[in-house]
Amino acid sequence: MMSSDPANRRPGELVFALLLLLFSVAAFWQAYEISGFTGKTTAGVFPMLASGVMVISGLVILVSAASSPPAPKDAPGFFSEVVPINHVVLIGLVLGYVVLMPLLGFLVSSALFLFCAFQFLWRKNPLYMLALTALTLAAIYIVFREVFQVVLPQGSLFRGYF
Amino acid sequence: MLEALGFFAIAWTDPWLIFLTAAGTLAGIYVGAIPGLSVTMATSILISFTFKWDVNEALALISGVFFGGVYGGSRTAILLNIPGAPSAIATAIEGYPLAKRGEAGEAIGLTTVMSVFGGFVGILALALFAPVISSFALMFQSRDYLLLGIIGILLVGTLSGESFAKGAFAGALGVLIGMVGLDPMTAEGRFTFGSIHLLGGIPYVAAMIGFFGVAEALVQLHTLNTPAIKQKIDRIIPRFSDVKKYFWLAIRASGIGTIIGALPGTGGDIAALLAYDDAKRTTKNPERPFGTGTREGLVAPEAANNAAVGGAHIPMLTLGIPGDAVTAVIIGALFIHGLKPGPLLLVETPHLFWFIVGSLTLANVFLLIFGLTGIRMFTKIVECPKAVLIPLIIVLSAVGTYAIQNNPIDVYWMLLFGVIGYFMKTYGFQVGPVILGVILGPMMDSNYRRAMLRARQDVGDFLWAFVSNPISLVLTTGLLIMLISQTPLWPILRRRVFRITD
Repeated sequence: MMSSDPANRRPGELVFALLLLLFSVAAFWQAYEISGFTGKTTAGVFPMLASGVMVISGLVILVSAASSPPAPKDAPGFFSEVVPINHVVLIGLVLGYVVLMPLLGFLVSSALFLFCAFQFLWRKNPLYMLALTALTLAAIYIVFREVFQVVLPQGSLFRGYF
Repeated sequence: MLEALGFFAIAWTDPWLIFLTAAGTLAGIYVGAIPGLSVTMATSILISFTFKWDVNEALALISGVFFGGVYGGSRTAILLNIPGAPSAIATAIEGYPLAKRGEAGEAIGLTTVMSVFGGFVGILALALFAPVISSFALMFQSRDYLLLGIIGILLVGTLSGESFAKGAFAGALGVLIGMVGLDPMTAEGRFTFGSIHLLGGIPYVAAMIGFFGVAEALVQLHTLNTPAIKQKIDRIIPRFSDVKKYFWLAIRASGIGTIIGALPGTGGDIAALLAYDDAKRTTKNPERPFGTGTREGLVAPEAANNAAVGGAHIPMLTLGIPGDAVTAVIIGALFIHGLKPGPLLLVETPHLFWFIVGSLTLANVFLLIFGLTGIRMFTKIVECPKAVLIPLIIVLSAVGTYAIQNNPIDVYWMLLFGVIGYFMKTYGFQVGPVILGVILGPMMDSNYRRAMLRARQDVGDFLWAFVSNPISLVLTTGLLIMLISQTPLWPILRRRVFRITD
C-alpha cells in the first residue's frame, strides 16, 4: 500500500508514535484515577495493566521509529502520501454526512453524500452520477428497509415525509 | 447422537434458512472477491443488520458469508492478480500465471473443488473435536482464560503485524476500549468522564465497523485507479484426474489449515501461507516451478484457508476465544443474541452448536454450486470501480452502526475509529488485535480478578498457581516462549541450543 520502503520512517510516523505514547500516558493516569493502588482486585487494576502495556510498547515503538532512517528528501511528504487530498475531502464528506444525518434523515443525507462522493472520486457527467446515486440508494433502501427491516434514521427536519 | 443429528438437520430442512445460507454464500463470494470488501467488514456490518433476527437465521447468513468470503478471494487473485482477501495472496502467486496462459477457468474450477474439500475437513474437525475440547475446557480455571486471552491477542498481533510492540499496543488499546463504562463487578465508572453516554461503554460493533469498514475504505482510496485486466474463461469443471492427483496434498493442506485455524488468534491468512510453503517444500516434481503457475501451489493454500474456517470455530465455540478476526466479530454477534460462547455452550445449548455445524456444511455445499457457475457474470461485477465502492461501504457502515441502538452518537464513534484505524494501518499496525482486545478485554478483566480473589489477593499464591497447575503451566510456557522469542535473547538461546545438538 505504501510506496516507501518500510525500513525507512514513513512521513508523520514519528509524530504518530509520539501521540500514541502521550495518549497511553494519559490513559494510564486516568486508569490510576479509578481506584489507585488501593487493592489488587479493584476496578482500576486491569485498565492500569492494559494502559501500562500501551505505555511500554508505545515507548518501544517511538524509539524504533526514531532510530529508523528518515524518508529520503525527495520522497513524498505527509500530505501527499498519508493524507492526500482525496482522504481529506472524503473524511470531510463523511463528517458532514454523519452530522447531517440526524437532521435530514437517511435518504436525503445519503443521497447528498453519495452524489458528492461519486462526483468527487469519479468525475464523470453529473447527470450520470445522479442516476447512479438514485440507483444505489434505491437498492440500499429496498434491501435494508424491506429485507433486513432496519430502522433508518429519520430527519428531524422532514419528520414524517421520508 | 440422534439429537445432534436433529439439530444439524434444522439448517437443512427449513427452506428459509436454506435460502439465507445460499444467499450468504453467494454474497460472501462477491464480498471476498471484490478487492476492498472483506469478510470481516461484511460480517461486522451484517451483525448490526441481523441482531433483531432469530439467532438461527443470523447464523445461517453469517456462516454463508464466512465460507463464501474466504473462498471468493481466490477468484480475483486468479483473474486479476489482486488477492481479494489476504488469505488469497499465495493463490495469486500461482493462479494469475495460470490465467495468463488461458487456464483461468480450470484454475477456478480446481480451486473451488479443493476449497470445498478443505472446508469439509475443517467442519469434520469441528464436529469431532469441539465436544472433546469443550469437556476438557470445563477444567480450565479463571487464570487459564486470562492466559488464553493474552495469547490470542498477542498471536494475532505478532504473526501478521510489523512488530511485536505494535501488536501488543493494538491489543492493549482494544482491552482499554473494552474497559470503558460501568465495571460489571463493582458498578464503578471507568473512563466515563462524567458522561452518561460513556457509562454504557463504547459500542463494540461501532468499533468493529469503524476499524474494518471505514478504515479499510480509506486505505482503499490509495488505489482508486488500478485498472483491471480481463481474462479468458474456458473449461471450469476440473478434470477428475487432477482432483485425484492432488488429493493427498489437499488432505495435508486441510490438516494444516484446521490446526492453524484452531489456534487462538491465527486464521486463514496464516494457514494459507503456511500450507503454500509446505507444498513448496514437499512437492518433489511440480509440473512447473513454483511461482510460475503450478497447480500444487494453488491447491494447498485454498484447501487450507477454507479448512481454517471450521478450525477457527473450535476455540470460539468451546473456549470463547476467537480463532481470528472474523470469529472475533462472530463472537460479538453471539453476545448480542445473548449467548455465551465457552465450554458451557455445548452443554447448555447443544442445538446451537450442531446448528452451526449444519449450516457451515450447507454453506460449503452451496460453495461448490456457486463456485462452478456464474463466473462470466462475476467478472463484470468485480470490475465495479472503487469510486463507487468506497462511498457505498461508508453508507453501509453508517446505517449498520446506527441500526444497533438507533443512536447517532455511535456513528461518530464509527468515524473516529475509522480514522484512527486508517492511521494505524498506514503506520504498520494491525487492527485485528484491537477488536480481539475489545471482545476479550472484559472477559480477561473478570477472570483476572476472580483468579486473584481465589489466591486471597496474595500475589505470590496468584503467580504460583500459573506454574503449579498442569493446564496453566502449559499455557504459561506457551506465553513465555512467545514473549522470549520476541526479545534479543531468543537468537542467543537458539544458537546455544544448536551448538549443543551439533
